[in-house]
Amino acid sequence: MEWFDALVQGVLLGGMYAQYALGMALMFGVMRIVNISHGDLVILLSLIGISIATAWGLGPLPVLIVLVPLAVLMGWVLQKAVLNRVVGSDPLPSLIATFGLSIALQNLMLQIWSANSRSLPGHGIESQSIEIGGIYVGLLPLIVLAVATGLTGGLDLTLKRTRFGRALRAASADVEAAAMTGINPRAVYAMATAAAVGILGFAAVFQALRSTVAPADGPAQLIYAFEAVIIGGMGTVWGAFVGSMVLGISQAIGFRIDPGFGVLAGHIVFLVVLATRPQGLFGKALS
Amino acid sequence: MSAIPYVATTEVPEVVVQRQTRSGRIAMTLAVLAMIAVAVMPWWASTGTIRSVLVLCCYIAVAQMWNLLAGYAGLVSVGQHAFMGAAGYALFVLAQTYGINPFVAVFLSLLVPAALAVPIYLLLHRLDGPYFSIGTWVVAEVFRLTASNLPLVNSGAGMSLRVMKDYSAFERNVAMSLLCAGMLLVTLGGSYWLLRSRFGLALIAMRDNPVAAASQGVNVVKLRFLIYVASAVGCGLAGAIYFMAQLRITPGSAFDPMWANVAIFIVMVGGIGSIEGVLIGSLIFFIADRWFGEYGATYFVVLGLMTLLVALYARTGIWGLISKRWDAPWFPIRRKLVDPEPLTRRIS
Repeated sequence: MEWFDALVQGVLLGGMYAQYALGMALMFGVMRIVNISHGDLVILLSLIGISIATAWGLGPLPVLIVLVPLAVLMGWVLQKAVLNRVVGSDPLPSLIATFGLSIALQNLMLQIWSANSRSLPGHGIESQSIEIGGIYVGLLPLIVLAVATGLTGGLDLTLKRTRFGRALRAASADVEAAAMTGINPRAVYAMATAAAVGILGFAAVFQALRSTVAPADGPAQLIYAFEAVIIGGMGTVWGAFVGSMVLGISQAIGFRIDPGFGVLAGHIVFLVVLATRPQGLFGKALS
Repeated sequence: MSAIPYVATTEVPEVVVQRQTRSGRIAMTLAVLAMIAVAVMPWWASTGTIRSVLVLCCYIAVAQMWNLLAGYAGLVSVGQHAFMGAAGYALFVLAQTYGINPFVAVFLSLLVPAALAVPIYLLLHRLDGPYFSIGTWVVAEVFRLTASNLPLVNSGAGMSLRVMKDYSAFERNVAMSLLCAGMLLVTLGGSYWLLRSRFGLALIAMRDNPVAAASQGVNVVKLRFLIYVASAVGCGLAGAIYFMAQLRITPGSAFDPMWANVAIFIVMVGGIGSIEGVLIGSLIFFIADRWFGEYGATYFVVLGLMTLLVALYARTGIWGLISKRWDAPWFPIRRKLVDPEPLTRRIS
């Protein structure tokens, strides 16, 4: 029972990680870019959300409604101001640019919000639980998982069914060929990053609700997102989702074994997947 | 344009390959003098100065190792501090736990990053471009968490190098100075020697275009692997010397991502793919750290934004801007063909 409980907790934790991983999978799939400030953007949005909540006395849902459009705007600006200049076959410029941005953001947040850990007041939602088959499951983690599933499904459908999704897939398969058929890659890129950071708006609210955030927490979130994407298999949306579940479960079981071992267990599973199945659980084998 | 004269004979024209320039000779003389000055620091500098120079030498060494990786091998690592910490810990365990002479242990400890770099590279090279970078970061995190849980290295509490009290302050200063000079010789001198050798040609070809280099017979896969291991050992040397001077190591300080920031800032601002850039960047960072370090977060915001701006607008860094204007390399690696008898004389 104790291990089943760890499994359930792991799946719920995976719901959180999926919300980080989706945006990373999307950006890498389309542009071959990894945004090193990915995790710092989550923390920045969380801290903005907390400040809004305390200043205006808002509950979690209104904060979410304010934060997601703000996140979309941030993603769009990030692409226009920074990433469009560094996108290309050489990974170095984009890595260095977003690395610099990450350092700047972390320290800027440190100055504005100080090093203290904060969290978003959830007005009781964070402590409610419901009983399913003899196990008490927190209401908030269930909502997180449901939202993560919804976001994954929504993104998958957007990629498969909509005009925007087709443009995205075309740009990711061959950007020059896509440009010849009338797609503007820069516009597609801007929308992809806007969507990726927009999803982080959800992640930011839930992260601030379920635990605390501090300005230095970003890199850890980046690493979890990265591990989830690699475990799941690059380039698939549901792969990133399943990768998040695997990572969440590994960490939850690790924490049960020894509290100092939880995060390390996730890293070890990541390395084992990399050693035995480098294309990830859902990725296609490289020819 | 006049037509190129066709030479019917297969005879190779007599030319001299010029490798050194006047600016290079001046810079080499200065570099040798500086290295000697570092080696004899105990006779002219205070302990405080020696400490500062030691930190500067570590910046130069780590930055040059990152430069080799990112600037030549195309491997952008953000986790080289993994090897610094690993060698640092190896030194502490060998010297403190097993009682080996610490000045011998410094060199023995380099076996650890070398041995770790091999399997790590074999794992991480499967990751595509930018994902490789974050993979190196995960490895550094794994090292930090492992050290925090490993009783052999006293877990999260860290270790102290108490055996150093067996040596007088002067003896320690002599050892530190010699180690610093040796580190500069190995990392900078070694890189320069490497770049001037046949490997250097292959490395520069690889830097400019890995696919084209491979088509010319450069074994890109093997060369990348060797550079990764060499860079791990170089970073390990810097780590061992740095923590020997610190006398204390904890998981947090040993595997501090700050070193990735330092290396990236130095190389990008100074100029990637050149030894001159590393020297310029190291001096700028060292001075900036002394002058503005007290501003803490603001200082790092500026540092981060500068790195961002260099990546966006000036990818060749300061040395790139200088060398575009003046052709006076400090460490020339080009081969220039010079006609021993000038053309005018041959015609007349």
